[in-house]
Amino acid sequence: MTIQVSPGQLAKSKATTQREVYLAALLNQRSEFDRQNLSADLGDWLQDLRDRASVRLQDLAIPSPKDEEWRFTDLSSLLQVSFQAATAALSAEALAGFNAVLPETAESCLVFVNGRYMPSLSSTAGLPQSVTVGNVGQLEEPYAARLRHYLAQQPGSEEVFTTLNTASMTDAAVIWVPKNQVVETPIQLLFISAGETATLSHPRCLVVAEPNSQVTFIEDYVTGDRGYFTNAVTEIWIEENAQVNHTRVQRDRSNAFHIGKTAVSQARHARYIGTTISMGGKVSRHNLEIFQLGEQTETTLNSLTMIAGEQLSDTHSTIAYSSPYGTSRQLHKCIVDDQAHAVFNGKVVVPQAAQLTDAGQLNRNLLISPKARVDAKPQLEIVADNVKCTHGATVGQLDADEVFYLQSRGIDADSARKLLIYAFAFEIIEQVPIASLQQALSQSISPPTS
Amino acid sequence: MTASVRTLVNQPYKYGFITDIESEAIPRGLSEDVIRLISAKKNEPEFMLEFRLRAYRHWLKMTEPTWQRATYPAIDYQNIVYYSAPKQQEKLGSLDEVDPTLLDTFEKLGIPLSEQKRLTNVAVDAIFDSVSVATTFKEKLAEEGVIFCSISEAVQKYPDLIQKYLGSVVPVGDNFYAALNSAVFSDGSFVYIPKNTRCPMELSTYFRINNGDSGQFERTLIVAEEGSSVSYLEGCTAPMFDTNQLHAAVVELVALDNAEIKYSTVQNWFAGDENGKGGIYNFVTKRGLCQGVNSKISWTQVETGSAITWKYPSCVLVGDNSVGEFYSVALTNNRQQADTGTKMVHVGKNTRSTIVSKGISAGRSENSYRGLVKIGPKADGARNYSQCDSMLIGDTAGANTFPYIQVQNNSAKVEHEASTSKIGEDQLFYFAQRGISAEDAVSMMISGFCRDVFNQLPMEFAVEADRLLSLKLEGSVG
Amino acid sequence: MIVENSEVILSVKDLTASVEGTPILKGVSLDVKAGEIHAIMGPNGSGKSTFSKVLAGHPSYEVTGGEIRFKGENLLELEPEERARTGVFLAFQYPLEIPGVSNLDFLRVAYNSRQKHKGLEELDAFDFDELVQEKLDIVKMNASFLNRSVNEGFSGGEKKRNEILQMALLEPTLAILDETDSGLDIDALKIVANGVTQLTTPENAVILITHYQRLLNYIQPDYVHVMEGGRIVTTGGKELALELEERGYEWVTEPEATEARV
Repeated sequence: MTIQVSPGQLAKSKATTQREVYLAALLNQRSEFDRQNLSADLGDWLQDLRDRASVRLQDLAIPSPKDEEWRFTDLSSLLQVSFQAATAALSAEALAGFNAVLPETAESCLVFVNGRYMPSLSSTAGLPQSVTVGNVGQLEEPYAARLRHYLAQQPGSEEVFTTLNTASMTDAAVIWVPKNQVVETPIQLLFISAGETATLSHPRCLVVAEPNSQVTFIEDYVTGDRGYFTNAVTEIWIEENAQVNHTRVQRDRSNAFHIGKTAVSQARHARYIGTTISMGGKVSRHNLEIFQLGEQTETTLNSLTMIAGEQLSDTHSTIAYSSPYGTSRQLHKCIVDDQAHAVFNGKVVVPQAAQLTDAGQLNRNLLISPKARVDAKPQLEIVADNVKCTHGATVGQLDADEVFYLQSRGIDADSARKLLIYAFAFEIIEQVPIASLQQALSQSISPPTS
Repeated sequence: MTASVRTLVNQPYKYGFITDIESEAIPRGLSEDVIRLISAKKNEPEFMLEFRLRAYRHWLKMTEPTWQRATYPAIDYQNIVYYSAPKQQEKLGSLDEVDPTLLDTFEKLGIPLSEQKRLTNVAVDAIFDSVSVATTFKEKLAEEGVIFCSISEAVQKYPDLIQKYLGSVVPVGDNFYAALNSAVFSDGSFVYIPKNTRCPMELSTYFRINNGDSGQFERTLIVAEEGSSVSYLEGCTAPMFDTNQLHAAVVELVALDNAEIKYSTVQNWFAGDENGKGGIYNFVTKRGLCQGVNSKISWTQVETGSAITWKYPSCVLVGDNSVGEFYSVALTNNRQQADTGTKMVHVGKNTRSTIVSKGISAGRSENSYRGLVKIGPKADGARNYSQCDSMLIGDTAGANTFPYIQVQNNSAKVEHEASTSKIGEDQLFYFAQRGISAEDAVSMMISGFCRDVFNQLPMEFAVEADRLLSLKLEGSVG
Repeated sequence: MIVENSEVILSVKDLTASVEGTPILKGVSLDVKAGEIHAIMGPNGSGKSTFSKVLAGHPSYEVTGGEIRFKGENLLELEPEERARTGVFLAFQYPLEIPGVSNLDFLRVAYNSRQKHKGLEELDAFDFDELVQEKLDIVKMNASFLNRSVNEGFSGGEKKRNEILQMALLEPTLAILDETDSGLDIDALKIVANGVTQLTTPENAVILITHYQRLLNYIQPDYVHVMEGGRIVTTGGKELALELEERGYEWVTEPEATEARV
């Protein structure tokens, strides 16, 4: 089903430039808000949230390279495509065809197709009763009442694509872990773009880990054959002394557009372990924002971008400290082949109050071909004086000596190079907490010949 | 900062005495006449006078650099004495003829020059104010063909080598202070290591400023021929005056094919008192040229003195596969200001450089690392690794890091790491809670922090450097 | 465990203390006997951590009144390192990173300073290495930790385990664990709790300062004290902690709530 744009909606927009007009057209693709399962109260609140975001969008436009935050990521090619919002039914067989549901999460997986929740393809049978995992519309009390304190409430600026997501929100994956609950089974949130047209979707996830709880989840993006546009937003709230282990895998086809935002708020003593694998998309962007809101919070970020052909992949991360004794460890690696282009902007903000912060950032880039390109910009804004902040950036090619060494042991040059690339990537992949996913990702790189 | 943190940083300077010796100096000020006078006093050949005058004319057109992170009152270059030398007999046949007061001075500084007491495996060139007073082990070195003498002597005895190499690495107009030095330098050391020769002992120059009004402008030139190697160490001290003395030295190193030069400095010029009165302005140009293939130049410096340090020992890596290294510990205390680092200029293929810089700032001092890594368009496969760590002691010191990276070749690999840490009340309490005293805690932390650099120093000096740092910081924590 | 007639190790009477002129402790009294485990709980800012730092002698905290006797001795007269050497151990809430100083050197110097104080033999690097290998097992730490700089690059859980390793080596008479459980995942929490339990003997005592009841599922305290406003306001057994978890601190700290309970 294709949603028709009504002329009235367009008329309301005051868009004039191409980038404004295009944004307005994307907004006009949104579906009506389905509130049949919601309480009147929550329905009103969500409707209002969407409406306010729509109003804000009227003053915004698709960013251009003149915008410092988008300097290296040119969205001109996005403007060439006319996307439509479309629901697509996906059979169980078709789902199996994607081979994306993990054995470990067979009974703890929510499936969304083109941004819409698919209850028939999802299962939460393997999870403890006390944990809430489902679509926002299924949310029960007391969580439904508390939703407004969490959904679309992350600190930081809400930039244009996040606003567009909020304005277009229909379904949203919710994981809510109550106090003291340790969830052993990993949870998969699987987002599939499928169908015969260039489809636009706005996946949304909300994760709340209450005090002393622990949870592991995978946010997984795959696409079918068409050049889809995915605009995803994930919000994670980790309350006092709780822990969230989050893996984000973006394995779209290389004709897709993908813009994703992950915003994480960590209370005192909370731990966030984030592993991000970005390998798909023609143009992809990941905005990662960490807000350490209390003392002694711990953030671990491991990310791998692996691109080739004409792909462009941009990661913008921000770690904002606010309180003493926070730590962060960030390792961002890029493997860039052919004419592909990787961008990394890693910001660390340490205000005066965040004394005894320990922030470490390392960015390693491996250029496989002479035309591959990397733009890396570490950005440390440190005001506090009693802190330990390190950053490092390397850009390099495969080490000729290492290749030669392997050759001298009888390995042909091509295999030697593959092995070294594999080893470079594996440092991140081995952080993925699920064996089958780790294996699948390893194989998609270059299996070491055994 | 607790009282104990304060006391640890404030150790009296023990080399601050003045030697009472009659010296011969020329009037204050700088002009072509003064340069002609210096050249005449040293009985120099015509080419040297030309060299000096060329430098002077450059200097007149130049202005003092102001980009460094240091503030000081304007220097009146016409109020400096550009030549000062202890009066002594014209030609010294042996050490016995050196004024005993001078020998005593160096002995007091821990550099005995007499046959009986001298260090067994280190040859020393002792420089007092502007003049070399003695060089030990000259004969023994001559047996290997190694030349180690004052640069004045070299101008007389080896004019061809001087003419060929002097100013070849640091041109006369390179920068304001280098130009000034080239115009007025009085003495310094010259080292020449012939082909395929491994210098049989450590070479060392000890610089001593004694005259309160004189500037010190030494010139050091080291040439290592194909396949040779040498390890060289310089040490520096000065009396405590409440005025500032200018020290603008130039050091040039040339390494030909497969040659290796290791240059170590332990700089302990008078740093001024706790209020920043007095102390040496140490504005020094040091540069090494790795001209030959597979050549290597390694700078190691332990900078603890001087009111202001402005110094960037550099390597120009021209020869393919050549290697440049820079290992530095810079300690500042009280009101000291240091702006120091290095330049690694990669020109040839597969050139490699390593930078390890450790800055320690205490008191109200400012300590900045400033470094340039430049990879030229032809430097295929060039590699650099830089590590710049700062340690703050107390709450009032400052540390800055200014890394500049210019890469014009996409096969290069450049790595940069930086960190800042602190020795404060919390760190000391952690040690105390495990039963470890503040003095032991500081000593453990400083030694650990500096280990990567001290490991590069010749053994006997590594111990000395560790001790020097502990002394300088004694009482600052506890 | 509570042992009849066992020795009083720590005796705190009417202790008051301030930091930068602001009073934090307003009359703390506590007796700890050999063999006992005491838990001190309370909301943020109640003075729990200040109490632990005052016991260990942190220079930023000024004792303005009262007394602390440790094994009969006036603890307040001792420097922090002397307190450590006589057997007071504080597991830090925020263990510091010490770049350049290897964990092994740090542990050895600490161990030997205590040996020296007791008039016992100091261990050389080889003998010490043997000793420390034994202790690693208690906290399930890999020997590679020993060669890294103290706490540098350690995760939060590793730092806390390193604290317990130090405790195992220094064998203190009184161990104060300041929120050692904060920021730990469930596996690390079990390791830490196990380590502490193993190190508890009838001769020593432990004070657990904690914000979360969770730790007490793994270490059984003999007494639970609730601190609020710089005083111990309630003391009870293990069940007090469970009640606190259920009903929140307001239950004991707000006057009307307290009255309702009485």
